[in-house]
Amino acid sequence: MSPDPDRPRSSVRGWLEERFNLTEMFSFLTSFGLFPTELDARRPLKEAIAEALSRPFPSYARWPRVLGILSMLLFLFLGVTGVMLALYYQPTAGDAYASVTTLVRDVSFGSFVHHVHGWAARLLILILLIRVWRFYFQGMYKGPREALWIVSTLLFLVAAAADFTGRLLPWDQHGYWQTIRGMEVLVALPVGGWVLTFFVGGASPDTLVLLRFYFLHVVVLPLLLLCLFYLNFSTVRRVGLSFSPGESRSGTGVFKVHLYNLVILALLVFGCLVTLATLLPSPYLAAADPFNTPAGVRPAWYLLASHAFLQSIPTLVPSWLRGLLLEAILACCVLLPFLDRSPGRAASQRRFALILGVAVLALWLVFTWMGYRMEVGR
Amino acid sequence: MISALLLAAALTTSSPNQCLLCHPDVRVLFDRSRHHAEEVTCTACHGGNAQAITVEGAHSGSFRGVPKRRDIPALCATCHSNVEKMRPYNLPTDQYALYQTSRHGQLLAKGDERVAVCIDCHGSHEILPPEDPRSSTYVRNIPATCGKCHGDAKLMAAYGLQGNPATEFAAGVHGTLLLEKGNLAAPDCTRCHGAHGATPPGVGDVDKICGQCHATTRTYFLQGPHKAAMDKAGLPECAACHDRHDNRPADVGMLDKVCLNCHGADSAQVKLSQQMKTSYSRASEEIDQAHALVQRAAAIPLYVEDYQARLEEARTALLESLPVMHSLNLASVESLTGRGRGIAREVESELNGKLQGRRWLKVGLLVFWFYLLITLALLLRFRRKAVAESSR
Repeated sequence: MSPDPDRPRSSVRGWLEERFNLTEMFSFLTSFGLFPTELDARRPLKEAIAEALSRPFPSYARWPRVLGILSMLLFLFLGVTGVMLALYYQPTAGDAYASVTTLVRDVSFGSFVHHVHGWAARLLILILLIRVWRFYFQGMYKGPREALWIVSTLLFLVAAAADFTGRLLPWDQHGYWQTIRGMEVLVALPVGGWVLTFFVGGASPDTLVLLRFYFLHVVVLPLLLLCLFYLNFSTVRRVGLSFSPGESRSGTGVFKVHLYNLVILALLVFGCLVTLATLLPSPYLAAADPFNTPAGVRPAWYLLASHAFLQSIPTLVPSWLRGLLLEAILACCVLLPFLDRSPGRAASQRRFALILGVAVLALWLVFTWMGYRMEVGR
Repeated sequence: MISALLLAAALTTSSPNQCLLCHPDVRVLFDRSRHHAEEVTCTACHGGNAQAITVEGAHSGSFRGVPKRRDIPALCATCHSNVEKMRPYNLPTDQYALYQTSRHGQLLAKGDERVAVCIDCHGSHEILPPEDPRSSTYVRNIPATCGKCHGDAKLMAAYGLQGNPATEFAAGVHGTLLLEKGNLAAPDCTRCHGAHGATPPGVGDVDKICGQCHATTRTYFLQGPHKAAMDKAGLPECAACHDRHDNRPADVGMLDKVCLNCHGADSAQVKLSQQMKTSYSRASEEIDQAHALVQRAAAIPLYVEDYQARLEEARTALLESLPVMHSLNLASVESLTGRGRGIAREVESELNGKLQGRRWLKVGLLVFWFYLLITLALLLRFRRKAVAESSR
């Protein structure tokens, strides 16, 4: 809309408003969970906000809708601590371990930032996974929330990839060998394995693989996550929050309440991260030694099930077929909204999906346990 | 026909060494040898005429065939004791003189031809220099070379020698180092017995021989009362406690056993040995404890490089106390073990201080939660107010 010549120009906002579409910018910036309704980008900022606030304001900073914003908050903590770590980290095989040692030992609050980053990553993946299962069991993949489902499954997968690439960066014994173990699982997959091999150039990490992991970890994957979070909250804005029939809409209030909810939640997350980082810091281990495999190293926990699956099926089934099966299951998960043709969201309308869900969850837990046990005897 | 062809070939090439035409099996061995590389010909040892093309012609003149065992040392010495000839190779020329002083040489002079002559250790046609790992005189092959005769119980019984020194040596600390771990600085047989002048060391000389390598230990041993007493009693110094060929790695545990060989269980000497052992063990334990603490701190991680260096110093003092024990001077031993213990205690107390300091982290965490809970309480209050306002 063209600037209004009658508008008083004394305020900075007025001056800016004539030169930028502030409403559009505000709409974009707040679409990462801050502002859960759409804004009319054609109206001036103040009016658009006032109009949006006049409508009832569904807050998702409360259980059980909290998981999305919780993961966004954790992602923010990861971003901030990640930038701090990047100020000292050197991504070469020769210097990585020494730079992490300097960071966690000699730099003030370095070890604290390091451990907060690690704990935020663990919680992020766990919460994204719980969120996917909540969506599944509550039928949240049904129209019009197909996009929300696809985005939330992709969020989990990309966050897991970010975690996987991050584990190598300290270049310590555990991270190094865990990466090798994880690569063994991933490289065995028919298409995903080829893509991975193309990107990192081999199954054993050297300085170039470290550099590529670093690049993926600090640039590509965070950007992807940011895009996915944006899509996630945008679709929530457009289709609205989902309330099961009969559920009280107590979360519906005003923006001020939502803001308080957000701040309280952020403080609680911060408190938890500080506590975990202080009481349960990850152990500081020896530098990576490519010629000395430590005993009992397993892939990261989210790869244990795939690891066990690929190893436990009889060798009669060729490994590429096993890998393909695994990838097909994953693709089915992501594309679930287009596969489940049951008529509605209610539990009575999708008995089969619920039974299948429980069966898959149980199988996944069993395979994870098997994958965990596999390394115990070694 | 064939021999005529061979003859023709030999004539046309006019090789200076025609012997190998009829002795091709020797040629195979000789071509590998150092002598061949230095253009020594068959006639240097066997005499005769290397240019002759008939058997009679070759085996004529100075020809002596296979040299007799008793003549071999002197035969080799014609070149190897010749300073002019050996100078370009920078080889010693005293081997023959040494050999004549050795047990082998002395018995040979008495007409005993079973003793070792040059070829028994060096080989004959296929002689290789001792630097060559294939050579029978290469440092790691010497125990086997000596063992050829000295491991032969029947042969040795004739000289009143018992046991198999080669296998005993392989089981001992020096043999393990040399043969298993490939440490070429470890001694072989010749390091203690001599090579060409090989003779068993006599009482009074053992400390000199061991002292070639264990110089510090010998110095302290000479300061103590044992040297004079052992010489008087006819005991072979070092070997009296440490054994000979199969000597095990020395440790303070030896003090429990070897002293009792000569001294009574309740003697002052045995008491002294136990005092030295306790002093050492206690320091060793305390250094190990401090080391474990350093490891714990390094896993946090705290800065421990300085403590590691200091513990290294403590271990050096402890290590020094072992040779000093040979002087039987308790005060000297305790000054070293005391230094090790002192350093270990210092490191332990400083690190404990730092680890205690980390407890304040938990106090800090409590303070953090105190303020966080106050903030949360305030926020919840504001929120409740906002909820009340909105429902109005």
